[in-house]
Amino acid sequence: MIRTAIKGVFAHKLRLTLTAVAIVMGVAFVAGTFVLTDTINSRFSTLFDDVYAGVDATVRPESSSMTNQSGSFEVELARTIASVEGVDRIATGVGGVAQIIAPNGDPIGGQGPPTIGSSWVDVPALTAFRVDEGNGRAPVAAGEVAIDVSTSNANDLSIGAEVKIETAAGAETFEIVGLVSFGSEDNLAGATISVFELSEAQRLFGLEGRYSQIDVLAVDGVDPETLTARLQQALPSGIEAVTGSQQTQEQFEQFTEGLGFLNTALLAFAAVAVFVGAFIIQNTFRIVVAQRTKELALLRAVGASRRQVMAMVLTEALAVGTFASALGVLVGIGFAKLLKVGMDAMGFGMPDGPLTIALRTVVVGMMVGLTVTMFSSLLPARKASRIAPVAAMRDTPAARRSLKTRALAGTGIVLAAAAALLLGLATDNGNALMLVAFGSLTGFIGISVLAPLFARPIANLLGKPLPGIAGRLARGNTARQPRRTAATASALMIGIALVAFVSIFGASIKASVGDTLDGAFPADLSIRSSNFYAGVSPAAMDQLLNVDELDTVSEFFFGEVSVEGNRAMVVAVDPATVDAVYRPDASIPMDDVGEGVLVRSDKLEVSGWAVGQLLTIEYPSAQTIPTEIVGTFENQNFAEYLITTSTYSEHFPGQSAVMVFATLADGFDVAEGQAAAENALTDFPSIDVNTQSDEIAESEAQIDQLLGLFSALLGLAVIIAVIGIANTLALSVVERTREIGLLRAVGMGRRQVRRMVRWESIITALFGALLGVAVGVVLGWATVASLAEDGLGTFALPGVQLVVWLLVAALAGVIAAIGPARKASRMRILEAIAYE
Amino acid sequence: MALALATERNVSAARIEDAVKIYGTGDTEVRALDGVSVEFKTGLFTAIMGPSGSGKSTLLHTLAGLDNLDGGSVYIGDTELGSLNDRHLTELRRERVGFIFQAFNLIPTLTAEENILLPLLIAGDRPDQEWFDLVVDTVGLKDRLHHRPTELSGGQQQRVAAARALVSRPEIVFADEPSGNLDSKAGSELLEFMRRAVDEFGQTIVMVTHDPVAASYADRALFLADGKVVDHMWSPTAASVLERMKTLGA
Ligand SMILES: Nc1ncnc2c1ncn2[C@@H]1O[C@H](COP(=O)(O)OP(=O)(O)O)[C@@H](O)[C@H]1O
Ligand SMILES: [Mg+2]
Repeated sequence: MIRTAIKGVFAHKLRLTLTAVAIVMGVAFVAGTFVLTDTINSRFSTLFDDVYAGVDATVRPESSSMTNQSGSFEVELARTIASVEGVDRIATGVGGVAQIIAPNGDPIGGQGPPTIGSSWVDVPALTAFRVDEGNGRAPVAAGEVAIDVSTSNANDLSIGAEVKIETAAGAETFEIVGLVSFGSEDNLAGATISVFELSEAQRLFGLEGRYSQIDVLAVDGVDPETLTARLQQALPSGIEAVTGSQQTQEQFEQFTEGLGFLNTALLAFAAVAVFVGAFIIQNTFRIVVAQRTKELALLRAVGASRRQVMAMVLTEALAVGTFASALGVLVGIGFAKLLKVGMDAMGFGMPDGPLTIALRTVVVGMMVGLTVTMFSSLLPARKASRIAPVAAMRDTPAARRSLKTRALAGTGIVLAAAAALLLGLATDNGNALMLVAFGSLTGFIGISVLAPLFARPIANLLGKPLPGIAGRLARGNTARQPRRTAATASALMIGIALVAFVSIFGASIKASVGDTLDGAFPADLSIRSSNFYAGVSPAAMDQLLNVDELDTVSEFFFGEVSVEGNRAMVVAVDPATVDAVYRPDASIPMDDVGEGVLVRSDKLEVSGWAVGQLLTIEYPSAQTIPTEIVGTFENQNFAEYLITTSTYSEHFPGQSAVMVFATLADGFDVAEGQAAAENALTDFPSIDVNTQSDEIAESEAQIDQLLGLFSALLGLAVIIAVIGIANTLALSVVERTREIGLLRAVGMGRRQVRRMVRWESIITALFGALLGVAVGVVLGWATVASLAEDGLGTFALPGVQLVVWLLVAALAGVIAAIGPARKASRMRILEAIAYE
Repeated sequence: MALALATERNVSAARIEDAVKIYGTGDTEVRALDGVSVEFKTGLFTAIMGPSGSGKSTLLHTLAGLDNLDGGSVYIGDTELGSLNDRHLTELRRERVGFIFQAFNLIPTLTAEENILLPLLIAGDRPDQEWFDLVVDTVGLKDRLHHRPTELSGGQQQRVAAARALVSRPEIVFADEPSGNLDSKAGSELLEFMRRAVDEFGQTIVMVTHDPVAASYADRALFLADGKVVDHMWSPTAASVLERMKTLGA
C-alpha cells in the first residue's frame, strides 16, 4: 500500500510540485525568520562580548526596575572607585545623542538606528571604540571628533574635513581627526557614532563635572563578582555596580529588543503564509482524490480496506509534506541570506560571518510543514476512504453532502468568529489580541465553508459580461464545481481581506488625524526634532522664546514611569501656556494640577480609581512618589497620565521636550511665523518647524509608508493564493483534457482556449477578492468602531484602494492562468480525445 | 437548395492520395496507413470497415485535419491540408468539417442547444434559424434543447452531436463509430438520421464502423486491412458486408 502511495506521488510530478510550492513558501518564511534572527543575535552577541571582554565591572546610576533611562553622577565618585581594593584601572565616560549633519545640511540618520555620541576612553580593554591603523587618531582636544568608518564613507566625510554635529547645545563644527570602529565593525548596525574628548563630551551633553558610566578593570586574581561586591559597598545609594558580563548582556538585550519587532512581524507573515497554504494544500488533495476516484475505488474493489485507502492518501501527504518542508527549510535559509543582503544595503550593517542555522530552525520548520500538510490532507483522506467500490464502475462522482448542513455549519462558525472578534475588540486586556486573531482565523474558515454556496451565483454574475463562447464556457467551468472554486478563491480571500483591512484602517486613521488636529490642537506651529532620539532641547527652547512672531510657546515632555507597578507613559505640559495650544478636555483648570496627576477618564474607570486617591508613581531615578489624582481628562492623543512640567523636570532633569507647540503673535501669518522660528533654530538643523497642514501631510505620509510596507508583505499571501489558483486550474485543465480536445476538434482556436482558461481564473480570483473585500470591510469597520473611544473617530472607506485591490486580484487571475492556459492551448487534439 | 448539392455527385468532397502514417520507429514501427488513396464524392454516405487496428480511425483523423500524414496528401474540397498552419486547420475544422465521435461529444456545462451551436458560437457567427430548426426537428430534439448532457440519454447525446456536426453546413461530416456505444434502437435512430441528412440535405458523410448493420446505411463501404484499402462495395447490406469481413479475418 505504502509503495503504491509513494509511486502515486512520483507518478504525478505536476501535482507534487504544485502542492509542494504552498508548503515550501510557508516553511521558508518560518525558517527564514529563525535563521535571520538567530544570525543577527549570534553575530551581535559575539561582537558585544568581544568589545566588552575587558570590562570586569561597571558602575552606573541605579535605575528603576521598570525603566531603562539612565542618569549621571558626580566626578568625585571616580576617586572613590579607583581606591577600592582590586581595581586596576577605571574608564570614565559620558554619552548622549549626537546628530551628524551632512555637508549638504541634512541630518544623517536618526529615524532608525541611534545616533550615538560618546566620550573617548583611552584604556583599550575598556572601550568598544577603536581607531585602526591608518584611520587617523583619537580626539584629544575640544573641537575634535572621530566618527564611524561607515558614516565617513557614505557621506564623503574624511579625516581633516569639518563636520557639523548637533547636540542638545546646538550644532557646532568639529574637525574629523579619526575614524572609529565598533570592535571589528565599521559601525554598529547602522548607527552613526561621534566620539569626543571627555571634557568636550561632558560640555556637549550638558554633563559638566559628571559621568554617566565608569567601567572597571580588576587586578589579576580578583574575579568580577568579588570586585562588584566590593564596589557596591563603597558606593552611595542610587548608584550601583554590576559585573561586566551583566552589563554586556543588558546592553545586548536592549540592542536586540528592537529586533523583536522584526521577528514578530516576520513570524506573523509566516503564519499568514502557512494559513493560506493550508487552504491550497487541502484543495489540491481534494481535487486529486476526486480525480483518482476510479483508481481508489478499484483498490477498494480488489480488497483494500478503508483504512488502507486513507493510509495511502495520508502517506502520500507525508511524502509530499516531508519533501516540501525540507525544501522550505532550504529556501528559508536562502531567504534569510537575501534579507540580510537587503538589510546591509539599507544601511543596517551586520558583522560578517556564516548564517546561524540552529537545530530548532530545522525541527520547527519541518514540524510546521508536516503538521499543516497532514492536517490539511485529513479531510480529503477521509473522503477518499469513503469512496464506494462501485465507483470504479460509475462515471459520476459520489453525491455531495447537503448544502443545508454546510450552510448551518458555516453560519455557526462565522457567528462564533464574530462573537470572538467583538469580544476581543471590546476587551481591554492582553487577551484582546488573541481573541481578535482567533476570531479572524475562524471567520476566514467559516466564510470559506459558506463560500461554495455563493460560488455558483457569483461566478454566473461575474461571468455574465464576458463575451463569446470562451466567456460562456469560463462561467460554466467556474460554476460547475462550487466547492473547488470556493476553496481556491478562499485562499485569495485571506490575502485580500488583510490588505483591504489595512487600507481601511489606514484611511480611517488618516481621516481621524485631521479631525483630531483641528479639535485638540489649536496651535499654529509644531516643532519637533527629525531625530527619533533627540527632542527640542532647553537651548533650542531658549531660542524659540525670543521669536517675536510667536505668541505662546509651550513644551511637551513624555516620560516612562511606573504607576502602581505598571509601566506607563506620562505627558507633561506647562500649565501657564498649554491652554493656547492643547485642549485635553480636563475636569479641572490646568493651573490647579500642581504636584498632582490627571488620569485619563477611561483609565480611571477601568482601574477603579477615584479622584483624590494617591497613586504610587516610580520615576527612573528609582524615586517613588505618592501622587494625588487631582482630576481627569478625556483627550486620547497622548498618554493616560498628565502632569505639569515642573513635576516632570524634578524627576527627569535636563531633558529635551519631545515637542513644542506655538501660536502666532498678532499680525503675523503662518508663513512668517514658520520662517522666523526656523531662522531662530539655525543652530539646530535637525529640528523641524511644521504648520498644521505639514503635520497632517507628514502623518499621512507616515501612515502611507506603513501601509505600503504591510501591503507589500501581505502581497506574499496574494502570491501564494495565485499559486493556489494556478494549481487548481492546472489540475482542472488536466481533468478536462477531453473536453478541451473536443473544443479544439470542432474548431476552437488556441487563443480562445487560452482566453477561456484565463477568464475562469479571473472569475475565481475576483470571487475571492470580493469575499476578501467584504470580510476586510467588516473587520475594518468593527475595529474602527471599537477604537472610537481611543480617538479613531471616523470610519473611512478607501474606495479607490479597494478597487485597486480588485484589479490586483484580476491581474493575479491573469498571471495564475498563464501556465494552465498555455498547457490547455497546447494540448494535442488527438491525444486529448483519446485521453482516459 | 439541398437537392442542388445532391446532384453534384461527381464533385470530390474530400480525397486522400498515397497516404502514409507511421507510428513509432524501428522494431515498434507501425504503418497505420500504408499508401491509401480514396476519394469521397459529394452527397455520398461512405462506411469505412475493417478489423481493429487496421487504420480506420487514423484515416478519419488525417482526413479531418486532426492529424498530419507522414507521406501523401489530403484535400478537403480543393484545399490541401498539409500546407495549412494550425490556425487555418482550426478554421477548416470549424467551418468546413463536422465531427461525431464515439463518446464524449458534448461539453457538460453547455445546454443541448449550445452544444449544437458550438461551432457557430466559436466562430462568433449568427445561426441560421431555419436551418437550425430543421436540423433539430430532424434529430427529434426539439423538447430537449435546454437540457444539459447529463440529463440526456446516450442516444440523445449522440443525436445532439450529429446535429452539431451538421449545423455549420460543413462540406463533409466524419463520424468515428458514432453508434458504437448505443443500444440497437438508439443506434438505428442515429443512423436513420444520418441517412436522412445525406438524402434530404445532400450531406456528405464518412463513417467508421465495425458493425455490418451500421455499414448497411451507407451508399458505399470501404474495407481496410493493415493500413491499406483492400476492397470496396456499393450499396452494402449487412449480409454482404459480414461476408466480406469474414474473409478479412476480423
Ligand atoms: N498514437 C498512436 N501511437 C502509436 N500507435 C498508434 C497510435 N494511434 C494508432 N496507432 C496504431 O496504429 C494502428 C492503427 O490504429 P487505428 O487507426 O486506431 O485503428 P482502428 O481505428 O482501425 O482500430 C494500430 O496498430 C494502432 O496501434
Ligand atoms: Mg478506431
